[in-house]
Amino acid sequence: MTAFDRGACSSKLIALVVIAALAPAIHASVHDHLFANNFEIPADAPASTNDAARFLTQATFGPTQADINKLMAVGYNEWIDEQLGMPATVGEPTVEQVVNARITGGQTVGQSQRLNRWFWQATYAPDQLRQRMAWALSQIFVVSDQSSAINQDVVPMAAYYDLLARDAFGIYRTLLGDATYSPTMGKYLNAFRNLKPSSATSPDENYAREVMQLFSVGLIQLNLDHSPMLSAGLPIPTYDQTTITHTAKVFTGFTYSDAPQGSGPPNYTGANFLGGARTFAGEYSPMACWGTELFPASGTGSGNMKHDITGDDGTTGTPKTVLGNQTIPSNQTCTLDVSDELDIISAHQNVAPFISRQLIQRFVSSNPSPAYIQRVATVFESGTGDLGDVLKAILTDTEARTPPPLMSGDSYGKLREPILRLTAMWRAFNAKAPAADVYGEIKMLGGTNFQGSYGQGPLESPTVFNFYLPDYQQPGNNLYAPEFQITNESTTYTTANSYYNFTANAYQGMTSPPTDRPLIDLSTLTVNGGNPSAMVATINASMLYGSMSSSMQSTLSGMIQFGLNRATAQEKAWSAIYVTELSPEYTTQR
Amino acid sequence: MSHNRNSRREFLRNLACLAASGGAAAMIPQLRMMGTALAGTSSLTGYKALVCVYLAGGNDAWNMLVPFDSTRYNTYSTSRGGVYNSATNPGGLALARPAQAQITDGNDSNGSTNQYFLHPSLSDLAALYNQQKLALVVNAGTLVAPINITDYNASAANRPPQLFSHADQENLWHQANTTANSSLGWGGQCADNLQLNGANGTSNPQLSLCVSIAGANRFEVGSSVVPYQISSSGLTALRGVCNPTCNMGANNANARDAALNALLADTYANDFAGEYKNVFQRGRDLYGLLNGGLTNTTLTTTFPVTSLGAQLQMVARMIKLSKAQGYASRQIYYVRFGGFDLHSGMFSPNGTPNDHAGLLTQVDQALNAFWKAMGPTDVNAQSEVTAFTASEFARTLQSNGAGSDHGWGGVQMALGGAVNGGKLYSDGSNLKIKGFPDQAFNDGVMTFSRGQCIPGISVDQYAATLARWMDVSPGNIGTIFPNLGNFGTSNLGFV
Repeated sequence: MTAFDRGACSSKLIALVVIAALAPAIHASVHDHLFANNFEIPADAPASTNDAARFLTQATFGPTQADINKLMAVGYNEWIDEQLGMPATVGEPTVEQVVNARITGGQTVGQSQRLNRWFWQATYAPDQLRQRMAWALSQIFVVSDQSSAINQDVVPMAAYYDLLARDAFGIYRTLLGDATYSPTMGKYLNAFRNLKPSSATSPDENYAREVMQLFSVGLIQLNLDHSPMLSAGLPIPTYDQTTITHTAKVFTGFTYSDAPQGSGPPNYTGANFLGGARTFAGEYSPMACWGTELFPASGTGSGNMKHDITGDDGTTGTPKTVLGNQTIPSNQTCTLDVSDELDIISAHQNVAPFISRQLIQRFVSSNPSPAYIQRVATVFESGTGDLGDVLKAILTDTEARTPPPLMSGDSYGKLREPILRLTAMWRAFNAKAPAADVYGEIKMLGGTNFQGSYGQGPLESPTVFNFYLPDYQQPGNNLYAPEFQITNESTTYTTANSYYNFTANAYQGMTSPPTDRPLIDLSTLTVNGGNPSAMVATINASMLYGSMSSSMQSTLSGMIQFGLNRATAQEKAWSAIYVTELSPEYTTQR
Repeated sequence: MSHNRNSRREFLRNLACLAASGGAAAMIPQLRMMGTALAGTSSLTGYKALVCVYLAGGNDAWNMLVPFDSTRYNTYSTSRGGVYNSATNPGGLALARPAQAQITDGNDSNGSTNQYFLHPSLSDLAALYNQQKLALVVNAGTLVAPINITDYNASAANRPPQLFSHADQENLWHQANTTANSSLGWGGQCADNLQLNGANGTSNPQLSLCVSIAGANRFEVGSSVVPYQISSSGLTALRGVCNPTCNMGANNANARDAALNALLADTYANDFAGEYKNVFQRGRDLYGLLNGGLTNTTLTTTFPVTSLGAQLQMVARMIKLSKAQGYASRQIYYVRFGGFDLHSGMFSPNGTPNDHAGLLTQVDQALNAFWKAMGPTDVNAQSEVTAFTASEFARTLQSNGAGSDHGWGGVQMALGGAVNGGKLYSDGSNLKIKGFPDQAFNDGVMTFSRGQCIPGISVDQYAATLARWMDVSPGNIGTIFPNLGNFGTSNLGFV
């Protein structure tokens, strides 16, 4: 990602976020910044530690006491701005090191090397907001180890995730370009080694289709509030099959950056489009495109030119009628073709509502009001797709900060993703990761197959359509509830059993603790081993930002006091955590 | 999420039980309505199950069934860029023509047009075809009404919404109508009708007539029937609590179990919490109902150790258990096997489980094992169970150099003792295939420039044929398949 000046953005934000209830506080926060100290309470500080924990449940992989204290001290805007300014914690260097060490040591290498690092980062990285955004983006710009095309690419997949983390607060167009040129994306959606048309073949249409359908504009024309535009009562498609066939020609000619380009003019001896990937860097660096910039159409070696353009091998480059019936002229360089195409996509009116709505769904609520989407999409448009501004607008919006009163028929909030329910538990109880093994690897997984047990795993979606669709609805209900697509009679059990592994079988002080997963610290609970209601109060504050119903409080207290009266303090503690993890209240984020 | 869908019918059924035990009828005058609601009870005889085998990603069905006669074979081969050869024609997608035809279309007596071969991976299924147990439904796909390219270009209303999009076309296949915003599936709606007609054999807890081994799916969602989702590895005990009931005496698992049950018995103002509670509670109830029986329900047939093999094995066990326990007289199952979106790697030089041949081998072995498991010496339900395939679309006939892209109409299979197999089924009127391969690739009438085939028959016809076999009330067929009247026949006759 390009260097990003947070300071410059802040003043822009002041104007943009006026819509939010917090707006008056922002001026104070920014202007008082230099003089802020621990004795002053910032004007936009959360009203309570519970409010702070609720915000951190939305914005991080789970509140910790340290983050709650920090947020209380600096207020929402300062906290967000600090997070926006933090550099990305990245995974690729560590994964590469571990992979190399394992290869040297004669050990197998697989996706668990990447996944161990992912869970470590999610749980411990200081740039929590950025990591959460990368996680959200990974559910839009999907690549997956469930595809045999990239399943072996452990290190490049880690690099792809780093790309998302680095671009998380940059300009949308930058992210779109970096994802497009990623060889991991290229291999997953077939732009990699895609060829210009020949007499017998047409270019692969996969990336052309999904980049529009899933990463940018979607299928139908949208208003800024995400409602469909209608023509004679019907939605208006954003593109048709002809658009796809033409756009497919744009995404041709890509290969590894280190594929041998030959000896240069006039003969380009040794050029090999199918070569490359000689190092990890070669496998994950942005793809090269073999257009006229490398192999001029009139040159002797132009048979190497794989991008859609007139070549002396007999093919004829063609103009391309793409999204919005705009034309990309024939015979441009590949770089220019792709750049034109991505500019056209990025400038489409759908991008702001399409992306904004999905980000709101990942952070705050499954059914945001049209007005909320519109407020965020407006920020998206006025900042030309500044994703940091967009996320700030999402989190500081009135609809995020002020939930409606809980009453029957309430549809506010969302189901918490099963992975986030795990990481939040770890962070709430200061889970301690095991020491690195001889290969430098810190084990976090506890032998869990996340995609199988939870229905989701980092970069493990079954298809490019993510673990769940933004429009998924439970049978018989017209509310959107994406996470319910992976929540069923079977996965409620498999997810719960995994939580058991990470609580009952993974706490500090237990006999023969496992070494392949973090161990939680039960001391904030066991200190009240003889005081069930105090223990429950800690659970309530640590896991449920104080929202636990009185009915649930008495259920848990009763369990600890009576049913578990002869259990150890530790068993009382992990039982309370475990049952809470399974509870409808913890599973919901409001 | 508030679910009221079962209320009236369950109320009536519960009252029916009450009435049978003597007493309630006089108290509640409305009970007279019960006669209407349960009128169909006696109409369902015997046991029948449908098994939807969903091939996710868009199966390249034009390489599943290939014409053998040289005229049409050449049409096929040319449109696919010639026979694949890793060295000399790596972008070609055609299969080599075998020495002799493998199957004959029993619906066509003309020896010059009735010869075909199946993909070489499908040797077991070819044998079942020749035993008249397998039928092929040719050039089926999503349609509003029968159309050709002129109609297609004339108006967007003539064609289904969002053609060529995976998720959208999958939904339309699951719905068997082209209403983009429906949330109900045709299997679920059939189950609604069958439930009303008394297909449920048990209650409290009641096993849903729709069972998914492959997670959430629209196909099995009805107005009142919600699919029950089970994993292919069966039921897992919930750790740290009691499964399903606690042992005598107080212990720590009992305490956690009681607390969990109390939380699941609470009511929740928030819809997400309430719906999660419903799902979890249903999981607990059905664990109690099924676990003991399922553990003891074993098969003599060996299934391949593949995803689809494991899923169909679980279906076979569930059918065996359901029949033994009388859970239901009609059941609808859903399994799903992905990986068919072969934009690249459709062929590979040395073969892999993930190329098209590898995937079809897995389909062949799993379906063959399922057929055997239904045999007389195992579950003994061959003529009571019909398995059928579905896939969101077939693919472009034309190659992209390494594979094929999203297409439209394709070939589906139906397998079972009740199937009128050994035949190809097309639009039901002239017994000739409407579209490819009888009409040439890029003919400007039924196929587009890259060889995306306009279907000759609709998903609606395919599905309605299966629904009829399941004894869905004839009067209900038109409601479940609202566009059925647009097509020539509502019964393709393959089952």
